[in-house]
Amino acid sequence: MQDAVLAMLAKEPSHGYHLRARLRQCLGPLGESMNSGQIYVTLTRLEKAGLVVCERADGLPERPERKVYALTPAGQRRVAAWLTEVGWPKPDLAEFHLKLAAAAAARLADPVELVAAQRRELLRRLREVQQAALAEPAGSGAGLLLEGVVLRLRADLRWLDACERAWSGADDEVEGG
Amino acid sequence: MNVSDVVVRARGLVKTHGQGQSRVRAVDEVDLEVPQGQTLTVMGPSGCGKSTLLHLLGGLERPTGGEVWVAGRRVDTLSERALARMRRRSVGFVFQAFHLVEELSAAENVELPALLAGRSRRQARRCANLLLERVGLADRARHLPSQLSGGQRQRVAIARALANEPLVVLADEPTGNLDTAATLDVLRIFEELRSAGQTLVIVTHDERVAATADRLVSMRDGMFVDDTRLAASHPRGLGGLIGLGD
Amino acid sequence: MGSAVLVVRLVLADLRRHRVQAAMLLLAVTVATATMALGLSLREVSDALYEQTQEASAGPDVVALSGETGPEVTSALTSLAEAPEVVAHHGPYRIVYADLTVRGSTSSPVVVHGFAETPGELDRPLVTSGRWVRPGGTVLERGFATALGVGVGDRVTIAGRPYPVVGIAVTSVTSIYPWAAQIGPYGGPSDYSGLAWMTRSDARALASSHDLPVTLALDLKLRDPAATEAFRDAHASSAMITFHSWQFKAEQDTVILRNSQPILVFGGWLLSFLAVTGVAALAAGRAVEQTRRAGLLKAVGATPGLIATVLLTEYLVLALAGDALGLAIARLTMPAVASPTASRIGTAGLTGGTVATATVLAVVVAVLSTLGPTLRAMRTATVTALSATAHQPRRRPWITALSALLPTPLLLGVRLTARRPGRAVLQACSTATTVIAIVAVLTLNAQPERGYGLDGSSVLPNLRGEHDRGLMLLVTILLITLAVVNTITFTWTTALEARANMAVARTLGATPGQISMGLSAAQLLPGLPGVVVGVPLSIGMLSLFTARNAVETPFLWMAGAALATLLATAALTALPARLAARRPVAPTLSAETA
Repeated sequence: MQDAVLAMLAKEPSHGYHLRARLRQCLGPLGESMNSGQIYVTLTRLEKAGLVVCERADGLPERPERKVYALTPAGQRRVAAWLTEVGWPKPDLAEFHLKLAAAAAARLADPVELVAAQRRELLRRLREVQQAALAEPAGSGAGLLLEGVVLRLRADLRWLDACERAWSGADDEVEGG
Repeated sequence: MNVSDVVVRARGLVKTHGQGQSRVRAVDEVDLEVPQGQTLTVMGPSGCGKSTLLHLLGGLERPTGGEVWVAGRRVDTLSERALARMRRRSVGFVFQAFHLVEELSAAENVELPALLAGRSRRQARRCANLLLERVGLADRARHLPSQLSGGQRQRVAIARALANEPLVVLADEPTGNLDTAATLDVLRIFEELRSAGQTLVIVTHDERVAATADRLVSMRDGMFVDDTRLAASHPRGLGGLIGLGD
Repeated sequence: MGSAVLVVRLVLADLRRHRVQAAMLLLAVTVATATMALGLSLREVSDALYEQTQEASAGPDVVALSGETGPEVTSALTSLAEAPEVVAHHGPYRIVYADLTVRGSTSSPVVVHGFAETPGELDRPLVTSGRWVRPGGTVLERGFATALGVGVGDRVTIAGRPYPVVGIAVTSVTSIYPWAAQIGPYGGPSDYSGLAWMTRSDARALASSHDLPVTLALDLKLRDPAATEAFRDAHASSAMITFHSWQFKAEQDTVILRNSQPILVFGGWLLSFLAVTGVAALAAGRAVEQTRRAGLLKAVGATPGLIATVLLTEYLVLALAGDALGLAIARLTMPAVASPTASRIGTAGLTGGTVATATVLAVVVAVLSTLGPTLRAMRTATVTALSATAHQPRRRPWITALSALLPTPLLLGVRLTARRPGRAVLQACSTATTVIAIVAVLTLNAQPERGYGLDGSSVLPNLRGEHDRGLMLLVTILLITLAVVNTITFTWTTALEARANMAVARTLGATPGQISMGLSAAQLLPGLPGVVVGVPLSIGMLSLFTARNAVETPFLWMAGAALATLLATAALTALPARLAARRPVAPTLSAETA
């Protein structure tokens, strides 16, 4: 979540509530359960880590909603690094989804490229797991676990296919920001 | 890469269907080189032209434009008869629907290419039995295709494709009609072929098959859009996949 | 009402989709019924023509003839004329035996009847061109004139004396040319002769000029025309007088058709047989489609009767159409076939019996052709029928093992033949039938025959032999045509059915040439036993029909015929096989996955 929030600030500095609104819109029904205070906690942590800075505060100083946050140079570097990371979250797909949306909105990277890179990585992992599975004797417990991993990976690969189709079709539709 | 190492090569390959308004490019300016011993997978959505590409490489269809070489010989200009002879020596086919002859036993199906190539019956039969052993079906040599499961039928088809020791095996959606267990059996055979140095070109939309390849090419609308080596392992190891050490 | 509409719609749609099969069935049935109808009606038509000629020429019921002359004979004949059964008589008149020569080289025996210049009430030959006899001239019988190639105004030489031909006439008092001589000279055996008329005085002068044999004849008309036998029995007192009834003459007319009838009837059977084999092969190819249709109809609640109607109507409709066409053709060609000489006049139609038989034949052909697939379709349970697939060929390991020893084209040919043994049998029957026909033609042509000219010279050809050979040739050509159509269809059907396996064989490295030769071999291999069986069969069948003194065909000719049939089969299969073998492989393979 932290990285996603950072990436959202890459487009332009925003209020906390503005960020929350964008997150909710991006995640749709899955974002309903997001704690409304969560965003401010995250922003405070990021400020402490020096990745964002509070630009100005309109209105009362105690009200966190009035603060406008922006990326620091360190924060920008962090965003760039995060975009190229191909670590795979499990089982939360929201982070990748937000990555694509943020990248498209801030024009930091081509979402289709990101999807292709992620796909290559997953295929590499699938290959390893498969080779391990083939080496297992039939009916072993480890083989069963490996089969489960294979199935998850296949499902994720299919979702990545869909992402690629969607993002190569329309640029700004999905983000909706 | 040494030129003589390249088993299959295509330059500017084009295949169009239809006339005028409804003209469609099934294969659109494809360049490809498959060196000896490589396993190449072509992936893509249905209708993207990957099966057509395979047919063009194997001489089953003639390209509208471009050139195809197999083992250093130009094949798109050969006559039908020369193409057939080329197929006898250089190319083995595996199809999604197996395409076995229903009235012949497994062994009789496997010996068919050898017989067509003019080998004596005894030679052909011996070769067939060896190949069936290699794919693990030695005990089913006399069974009819209708008495075999889907996976076993495809293994017989693979054995048949290997009958004349081809330079390259072209497989069109080999696991398309198979369940998980059968797919694993076929993948095992492909692994074994790979380690034995057989050149393979596999067309598929199954990620499991794609993952076994050395090299993965993605195809869309008749064109190659991606060409990756699926090389060595990720440094994190398999544990990372289930949340260990993360 | 609704079911009738359904049947009509289905039949029309089927006819449009399966044009080739429809055309084949139509052609085959037309040809078979025409031949059969011609063969069955020959005798009746010949009789009808005789009767019409008799009526038009006021022909007699009985002719009394005597080879001797003299007052005794004359008085015997005169007393016959006064018998109570007789209502009219003509004569006695002179019949002179002579030779007729035309254009210096063509000679024929001739009998000259001496008639009055004004014909009487009985025996009034119908003049078809020119005029009746006058002194110094002669009138020729039309059949004779046509055979000689002589017309009014030409000159002929009879017994050395020239006569102009003043007219051509037709009569029923003698049988058709060349059986104009009712008895021979002096009552002995007669030869092939033509008929001519002269005036009485000319005839007498002719007879006395060279002392030629003379017969006295008396034409009689009976009160009861049918009672000629009774009349003969009543008056057969003298050994000098021979009686020829009109029934006898009509019977004699059919001698020229003695071989024609078996040729046509048997040819009709063979043609029907070929028709059934050809159409049956095509119908078998549609068996799956028919089974599915029957299953569908059963599933929506059609009665078995309706289903049978739907399945059979298409064939029945075509068969009846072919029947009508064939009968029309038979009607049109009847005069040429039933009356090869020009000696008779009149028209004749087909009898009801013939029409009925021909129609039954057409229906039987249609039903037999489609019997197998229809029965199968009706008997299959509904659920099975809806998802019916092609009948899987039976596995024959010994054939597979045997074929593996052969070179590739024969390997493919043997395996293709073994897939559909039924069709192999049909092809063998087709070939056997062709061989039978060819051997029959050769045998007929090998028979020696006597010409109608003087002393059997063939300056005047033997019309009966020519007629037989012509008919035989026609029937053979029809048989060969059907066999050709059959062979091409069999090859194409085999190729279509086996196209998936042939496509796979091509991906495995079989060249199109090998595939094409394999498809040809698949037709030739059954042809071999067909030929081997056909030759002895034809010899056997011919021995039933030909005379005891018939000459056997040289074995070399028969072997030649067999070889020619095989070569022709190979040539015929070449084109469809080649076309089928060169079809693109990829679409066939993809279609099979669907």
